[in-house]
Amino acid sequence: MLSRVAESFFWLGRNIERAEAVARILDVNYSRAMELSARRPARAERLWRSVMECAGFRPNASIPADGRAAIECLSHCAFDQKNPSSIMSTVRIARSNALGIRSELTMEVWETINVLYLYVERQNVRGVAREGPSKFMRRVRDWMQAVGGIADSTMTHGDGWNFLQAGRFLERAYMTARVLEAVDISLEGWRESQRLLEMCCASVPFVQASHRSPEAYDAVEFIALSPDFPRSLRFCVRELDTAMHRISGNPEGTYGSPAERRLGRLRALFDFTSIDEIALPGVRVFASNVRRELELLSHDIEHSYFPRLAAAAVGA
Amino acid sequence: MLEVTTDATSSLHLDEMFEPDGTPRPAYAALAATLNGLDPEEIEAHVQAINTALLQRGVTFTVYADDAGTERVFPFDVVPRILTASEWTGIERGIEQRVLALNFFLQDVYHEQRILREGRIPREVVYSSKHFCREMIGVDVPRNAYVHIAGIDLIRDPSGEFLVLEDNCRTPSGISYVLENRDALKRGFPALFRDYAVRAVDDYPTRLLGVLRSIAPGGNEQPNIVLLTPGIYNSAYFEHTLLARRMGVELVEGRDLLVADNVVYLRTTRGLRKVDVIYRRVDDDYLDPLYFQHDSVLGVTGLMNAYRAGNVNLANAIGTGVADDKAVYRFVPDMIRFYLDEEPLLHNVPTYDCTDPAQRDHVLGHLDQLVVKNANASGGYGMLMGPFASNEERQAFRRQIEASPREFIAQPLVELSSSPTLIDGVLKPRRVDLRPFALFATKVEVPPAALTRVALREGSLVVNSSQGGGSKDTWVLQG
Repeated sequence: MLSRVAESFFWLGRNIERAEAVARILDVNYSRAMELSARRPARAERLWRSVMECAGFRPNASIPADGRAAIECLSHCAFDQKNPSSIMSTVRIARSNALGIRSELTMEVWETINVLYLYVERQNVRGVAREGPSKFMRRVRDWMQAVGGIADSTMTHGDGWNFLQAGRFLERAYMTARVLEAVDISLEGWRESQRLLEMCCASVPFVQASHRSPEAYDAVEFIALSPDFPRSLRFCVRELDTAMHRISGNPEGTYGSPAERRLGRLRALFDFTSIDEIALPGVRVFASNVRRELELLSHDIEHSYFPRLAAAAVGA
Repeated sequence: MLEVTTDATSSLHLDEMFEPDGTPRPAYAALAATLNGLDPEEIEAHVQAINTALLQRGVTFTVYADDAGTERVFPFDVVPRILTASEWTGIERGIEQRVLALNFFLQDVYHEQRILREGRIPREVVYSSKHFCREMIGVDVPRNAYVHIAGIDLIRDPSGEFLVLEDNCRTPSGISYVLENRDALKRGFPALFRDYAVRAVDDYPTRLLGVLRSIAPGGNEQPNIVLLTPGIYNSAYFEHTLLARRMGVELVEGRDLLVADNVVYLRTTRGLRKVDVIYRRVDDDYLDPLYFQHDSVLGVTGLMNAYRAGNVNLANAIGTGVADDKAVYRFVPDMIRFYLDEEPLLHNVPTYDCTDPAQRDHVLGHLDQLVVKNANASGGYGMLMGPFASNEERQAFRRQIEASPREFIAQPLVELSSSPTLIDGVLKPRRVDLRPFALFATKVEVPPAALTRVALREGSLVVNSSQGGGSKDTWVLQG
C-alpha cells in the first residue's frame, strides 16, 4: 500500500473517532447541564471546564461564569475552525483524507462521510443552539459510528482497513484517556462516575456487567480495564496491537518496530494492572501518562510507515 | 402535462429531437411520448432525486473562479440525447480514421518528419507549437502508439452533418460523467428507458485497462499500472478516482513516485515497487521538474529519463499536444490523405490561419462574425465569440492577434444543433456538442460512451463546464 494512502487511512480513522467522541461528550454534558441548579454555578463551571479539557484541548480556557458558558463551549468544540479537534475541523479533515484515498474506499464509506460533511457544512452555532444541540450532536455521533460499521462490512480487511483500524483504536483510547483525565470522581461521587460512564457510552454496559450503580473506582476500573467493553483502554490497545501486527506480519507478542514494542508494553500494562495501582497515583496522573504514551506511539507509527510525508493535511 | 414541442422560430439550427415541421424524429418519438405523459412535478421530483444523489456521491468538478476551488455538481439534464445506430457507425468510422492518422502524424514528426519534408504541413506550424516536445525526437514508444486516449469534439451543423470542432489528444476528461449520468438516469428515471435498447457504457474502464496493459514496456504481460493525478484540487479529480477504482489500479500523486537508476517506483508501506505504465492525468509541463516547469510539485523528478530509457510507458505519450494544437487542426484532413490515402469521413469546421496575411486581414475585418480561439487553450477559456462580444472585447482580441498571430485561429460561427432541455420545469432548446472517446493500442476502438455537453444559458453556443455547461446522458441505440 502507498505510504501516503496508509497515512490517510490512519488519519481518517483518528478523525472519525475524534468527531464521534467530541459529539458524544458534548451531547452528554448538554443534557446534564440542563439539570444543574442555577444556584450552584461552581458545578456548571466545573462541568464546562472538563468538557473543554476533553473536547476542546484547551487546558486553561477561561469559562464565562454566566449562561454563556454553554454557547462558548459549543462554539469552540463544535464549530471553531482554528481548533483542530472541533467537530467541524475533524469532519473536514476526515473528508479531505477520504477524498485523497477515494479510489481505495468503497462507495458506501465515501458517501457516508460525504453526506455527513455536506450536513455539517450547512450548520452554524446559532442554528444548532436554537434547535438544541442534541440533534446535531447525535447526527454526527451516529453517522461517524456508521462509517466504522460500513467500513468493516464493505471494505476488504487488508492494509487500508488495518491502518483505518489502527487510527480508530488509537484515537478511541486517546479520547478515553482524555475523559478519564478530565473527570474528578472524588468531588461528586456517584454523579461524576455516572457522567464518566455516559461520556464513554458505558452506562448500560457497566450496569449489565456489574448489576449495581458505580461506587468509588468502579467506573474508572470499567473504563480502563474492562477486557470486553469496546471503549476501554485495554480493549482499544489490544485491537490496535492486533491491527499493527496484521500490517507487519509479525506474530503478536513479538515486535519488529518501535511502535510494536511500545504497544506490547502498553498491552501488558492493561492486562496485568489492578484498579488499586491506578487509584494510588490518582486517576488523573495515570490517564495523563497513558495519553502521553499514546502520543509517542502515534509518532512511532508515522515514523515507521509514512516517513517524510508527515506534513500532510492532518490534525494534531 | 409537460409540453414537448419545438420552438418553430429556431430554424437556423437543427433540433435533435424534432423535424422542422415540429413532429418528433423517429428515434425520439417514444421518448417524446413518455415525456408528454408525465406531469412537471413528477419530473421535478426525479430531477431532485438525481441531483441529490450526484452531490452525495461527490460527482463534482472544481471551478477555479475563486481561491477555494469550489466543488460543484456538473449540471445534469434528464432528457437524453439519442444517436441512432447508423449515425453512430458514421461517427465511429470517422473517429477511427482520424485518431489513427493523428498517431501516424505524431510518430512521423518525432522521427522522419516525412509530412514536413514533403511540404504537406509547414515546418513552422509544428515547430512553433507550444506542445511540440523536442526531447521526444527520436524516442521510440511501445507499439508506436502516442494517443492512447482521445476525446474528439463534434458538433452538428444545420444540415445534420457532424463536424470535428477540436481534437483532444493530451488528457481528455469527461468519461466519468458518461458513466455516472447513465447510472443516475437508470436509477432515477427508469421509465425513460422503457421503449429503447441502449448500448451499455459501463465496460469503458475495462477497455481502458486493456489498452494500458497492452502498452507496457517490453510487452510485459503483468504490468504494474498506476493513474497519476495532480491531486484532490484538480477539476477532474473525481474522474481520476472513479477510473482508478473501476480499473483496480493505484491512484498516485507525484510525491508517491520516485525514480532511481531510470526506473520509476512507488513508495509503499512495504518499500519500493516498480511501476510499468502510468496513465497520467498531469500535463506534460508538470510531469518532470528536471525537463519542464522547474517549480512543479505535481511531477516526478527523473520521469522523463526513465521514459526515454524505455523503462516506463506513459499514456498518453509526452508531446501529443502538437497534434491537438488548434493551428495544426486544419491540417488533420491532409494527414488522413497523406498517411492513410483516404478521404476524411468527418470534416473540419473551416478555419482561418492568422499567420497568413490575407487570411488575417479577413479575420480582422470580420471579428463581429467569427469565433476566435487561442491555439493552445482549452476549456472554453481564451475565446472570442465575435457576434456576441462587445466592441472592447473585439478590440482586445484584434490587438492580441496582431501581436502574436500564431496564437490564434478563427472559425465561422457554426449554429450547433439543439436538444430539448429541462429549464425551470419547461423544455427549451439548448445547444449541444458530442465528445466520443477513442482508445488506441493496436487498433482504434470507439466505445459507445460519448459525452453530450449542453449550453444551459439561453442562446449560448459554449458548452464547456467552466462556462455554464451541463451534460446529458447519451444513448447510442442498438442496431
